[in-house]
Amino acid sequence: MTEEKKEKKPHKRMTATRAAASIGPMVKEFIAGTNRARKEGTHKLAYTFIVCHHEEILRAMDVLPVWTENFAGVCGAKRDAERFLQRAESLGLSRSLCTYALCGIGYDQWREELGETPPDAPWGGQARPDFMIETGQILCDPRSKWYQASQQFMPDIPIYNIDLPYPLFQRDRDHREVLGYYHRYIVKELRGLIAFLEKQTGRKMNYDRLSELVDLSDRIWNLVHETYELRRAKPSPMGTGDAMNTMVPMNFMMATQECYNFFSDLKKELEEKIARGEGEVEEEKYRLMWGGGLPAWYALNDFNYFNGKGASFPVETTYRMVMPLDEMDLPRTNDPVEHLAWRWLGYWTFWYDKARRRPGSEPDVERLINWVEDYDIDGIVVHQAFSCRTWHVGLIWQLNQLAKIYKPIPVLMIGTAGQKEKTNREVPSLILESDIIDITSYSEIDTRNKIDAFIETLESVRANRAA
Amino acid sequence: MSDKEKSIMAEVERQYGNYGVRTRELCAEGAKAIGYICSFVPLEFITAAGCIPFRIRGDIREPITRGDSLLETIVCPFVRSCFDLCVKDRYDFLSGIVIPHGCDSMVRSYSVWSYSLNFPYFHFVNTPTVVKESSHEFFKEELRSYQKSLEDFTGKAITAEDLQKAVRLHNDNRLKTKALYEFRKADPPLVSAAELHKILTVGASLPVAEANALLDEVLAELGRRTEAPVKKGPRILLDGACVDHSAIADIVAESGGEVVVDTTCMGTRDLWPLADEDGDPVASLARRYLDRLNCPKTYRENTTGTFAGDAEARFGDIGARAKEFTVNGAILYLYKYCDPFGFEVPARKAYYESLDIPLLCLEDTYSAGTVGQLKTRIQAFLEMIG
Amino acid sequence: MTKAVILGEGIAASVIGPTGAEQRRLANKVMEEALARAGLAFEAIAYVVATGYGRINVPFADRQITEITCHARGIHFLFPEARTVIDVGGQDSKAIRIDSRGRPHHFIMNDKCAAGSGRFIEIIADTMNIPLDAVGDLSLQSTSPATISSVCTIWAQQEVASGLAEGIPVPDLLAGVHHSLADRISRMALRLRLEKPVVLTGGGCKNRGLIAALEEYLGCELLIPENPLITGALGAALMGRDIVEKARQNNLPLETRPRVLEAIHLLG
Repeated sequence: MTEEKKEKKPHKRMTATRAAASIGPMVKEFIAGTNRARKEGTHKLAYTFIVCHHEEILRAMDVLPVWTENFAGVCGAKRDAERFLQRAESLGLSRSLCTYALCGIGYDQWREELGETPPDAPWGGQARPDFMIETGQILCDPRSKWYQASQQFMPDIPIYNIDLPYPLFQRDRDHREVLGYYHRYIVKELRGLIAFLEKQTGRKMNYDRLSELVDLSDRIWNLVHETYELRRAKPSPMGTGDAMNTMVPMNFMMATQECYNFFSDLKKELEEKIARGEGEVEEEKYRLMWGGGLPAWYALNDFNYFNGKGASFPVETTYRMVMPLDEMDLPRTNDPVEHLAWRWLGYWTFWYDKARRRPGSEPDVERLINWVEDYDIDGIVVHQAFSCRTWHVGLIWQLNQLAKIYKPIPVLMIGTAGQKEKTNREVPSLILESDIIDITSYSEIDTRNKIDAFIETLESVRANRAA
Repeated sequence: MSDKEKSIMAEVERQYGNYGVRTRELCAEGAKAIGYICSFVPLEFITAAGCIPFRIRGDIREPITRGDSLLETIVCPFVRSCFDLCVKDRYDFLSGIVIPHGCDSMVRSYSVWSYSLNFPYFHFVNTPTVVKESSHEFFKEELRSYQKSLEDFTGKAITAEDLQKAVRLHNDNRLKTKALYEFRKADPPLVSAAELHKILTVGASLPVAEANALLDEVLAELGRRTEAPVKKGPRILLDGACVDHSAIADIVAESGGEVVVDTTCMGTRDLWPLADEDGDPVASLARRYLDRLNCPKTYRENTTGTFAGDAEARFGDIGARAKEFTVNGAILYLYKYCDPFGFEVPARKAYYESLDIPLLCLEDTYSAGTVGQLKTRIQAFLEMIG
Repeated sequence: MTKAVILGEGIAASVIGPTGAEQRRLANKVMEEALARAGLAFEAIAYVVATGYGRINVPFADRQITEITCHARGIHFLFPEARTVIDVGGQDSKAIRIDSRGRPHHFIMNDKCAAGSGRFIEIIADTMNIPLDAVGDLSLQSTSPATISSVCTIWAQQEVASGLAEGIPVPDLLAGVHHSLADRISRMALRLRLEKPVVLTGGGCKNRGLIAALEEYLGCELLIPENPLITGALGAALMGRDIVEKARQNNLPLETRPRVLEAIHLLG
């Protein structure tokens, strides 16, 4: 059995919440569910990506998403991605490319060559889709190139590419000047998706059902936000380690009642923990923010290592893909597609106004500042995954800029005159480096050394903290 | 070489050796130059605004140092080199920079560029990823925003006539370049890859009218040439992204071959597609930059249902160039960390195979230090096809 | 290393000398020694082909040909049925697919990083204070190979040091190191989609532990030449002979350099 074999398999990770612990079987069930649907022909299957604002449309048309990033992440977490990565390399793809995509393309080519699931594929493998939904976006090139590359081996599978731009932050421009035409374009793209799905499934979209699902996801957005805000408590009841699990329903089950129920339950669990004064860590010494970067999926145990040093993670920017709708000032509309497009734009431009009001700020930096204050953060950790330019380019600059414009910690230093002086310093930060699923890029010894050094920095900053 | 020829080529050499010298002079006299990276930046608007579009280049001989303290090393090394040179004030005569939605390396580093460098003008042009009716509609509006940003910067309106004039000038520039390439069809070519690289590089650093005048002189001289500057040998097509240096062409030449045509950004990708000169110039430029420019960053829908059909639609221009210039082999030269091209390697390989064109794939880090390793591979490839 | 092969009816002489920064001097030296062993004057040599990294630093060479083409030719001569060649040298490794005439049609190289070459094992052997020619056999005594990084020599060193401190047996650590190198090389080679028979050449052939690990990772048997260190030079000599014969057949003159070994003066 793949589960039990090598000594390489990591120890089962400790989670702070019961909710997070329930994710494993949930993910296994999606994958098993799509394999069943393929076998029994009960649903159309679509390869697709998370964060495309199209889950409501897919679910309204009973199309089952096959989340290819998720499958690659599972391979990574099970430390069984290497053979698929090597397969992709043997086709001519460079290891420096998004390793999720390499894993997926390697897997697809192998499956097509064999005419069946590759041997011992994690959790039954990734089902062959009926069609593939890519997204141009502005965020990530692999989202436009990945399925196109796989299509070389499955030319009978059509692709619909939804372009989903948002206006980049430009300091001298109010983004509202351009939102109108961005909105019009996104609406057309989403309507195009609906037309594509109608053609592929032979069914018409039920717009009442779509409206219900959009309404449901709106409520889930607000619920998730309220739930995560509970982590402001001291001690914080849930950390980023758990959030890397709870991102599953948020990103893979949006617009479903199960997702709503999951977060309702999680919210209750967190409220109970707070009432009992129970934190992620028994003795919370330091509160850290995961300030950017996808996690190293094969090394989630590192969060437990941090916990062991008294560090909790009340907040993270990664996979926090929802923001409170009532703070977005969205134009009212009865049309669910128009609403989805406004919500998309509202999410991506959420921090623009605030960033413009603070000299030297920028939306990602602004978010860091706001959350340092909201969650009372002592230090920031980011992870540089070498194969992902999307989420990792700019992290060094963000930390630099943050240090430049935001110095919230009063410390006592020995000044030039030899006397103790009070000065303000920036929030300490740590940069970890490896990859999302390529474990050869990771050195546990090296990483843990870095974590140890960081904890010492936090101790020293605290020791020198002025009143 | 005639004396006249010596002087125009010497002028090209002079400007190449001190890249930007002419535009720097013009800026000292009050002109405004706007720098750009990537073929997707619509240059016509910059010209119509009365400014000089200036192509920012990297430098493979300059180790990336200061840039690395601000930008991750997983960014395309060409982009990093350009950024590093900007930080080192190599292009301090510029008034601004325009960056398009070309690739993640550019898009995700836009904030780093615009906050770290002190130019008064920065703009991002959000080129769509797909080519549909709605994309053209969106892109026209986006180009109008771009136009407005230039108007705000210069304090002057850009009229439709200004744009139309710029369209004609830039088309002229492209047609003259195409005429230059014609000299490479001969066997052996009448202009060497090294010379052509220098001419095109200098051209991209000048106001377009001056570039056109330079090209006219070069074309006249080449027209008088009777002797080829290179010997007969394997004819190579160079495929790739922003190859702004001649290291590959030089190594090919040293190994007895010659690069006779390219499908790279500083070459035919940039310079072949024309813009329509009639009708609304904004719409015409939207069409040229969204659809006619052929780059992996643009998603082309597979309407044929087969891989062969898809490959022909996406890469047909490569096949056409290979045929026109009778190539014997091709080199696909990519930078490490390049996603748009990187994902296409298997498809491109299959396409070259379908045309029976031997292909060498090189992945490089954009540095003069790797020349020895490149030499071995290129020489071995030429030995293989020779 | 610097090697020379003189080819007549058969191999008249073969010499293996040290490598170093003074490539021209080393080239001269091995040439002199080879001539002495063959009992030949320099003028008797019809054609000289240089190959390898230092090929541009052989002033008396008539032609320079890459080691890709030369290894392919040399191995084809020794194993006419071979279709894939893997060369594991001290500084790099490469894999070459060859056709039935011994001409390469696809190749891939790893010359960017010590972790993909014989240097990897050299450095670790040094760290552990074990002679390089003993590590291979010692690794074969392992019953449970340790897991060692295949990506970075420095990390591997750290892991070996850490392993020694934890009391992991030396053969297990060495087996881990050999597996790492084999993994790295096979990943490179598999990008070519191997065709059998596969021949291994280069200094790596002297290491039985590496051969065993490579056979495991590649999933096939490896043919080994008797003199793995000279297959590149042999191939170069064969290419030279081809050039001479072609010139004779076509009645064309052959351009050659003066048969003189110039004295190399060191500066300062």
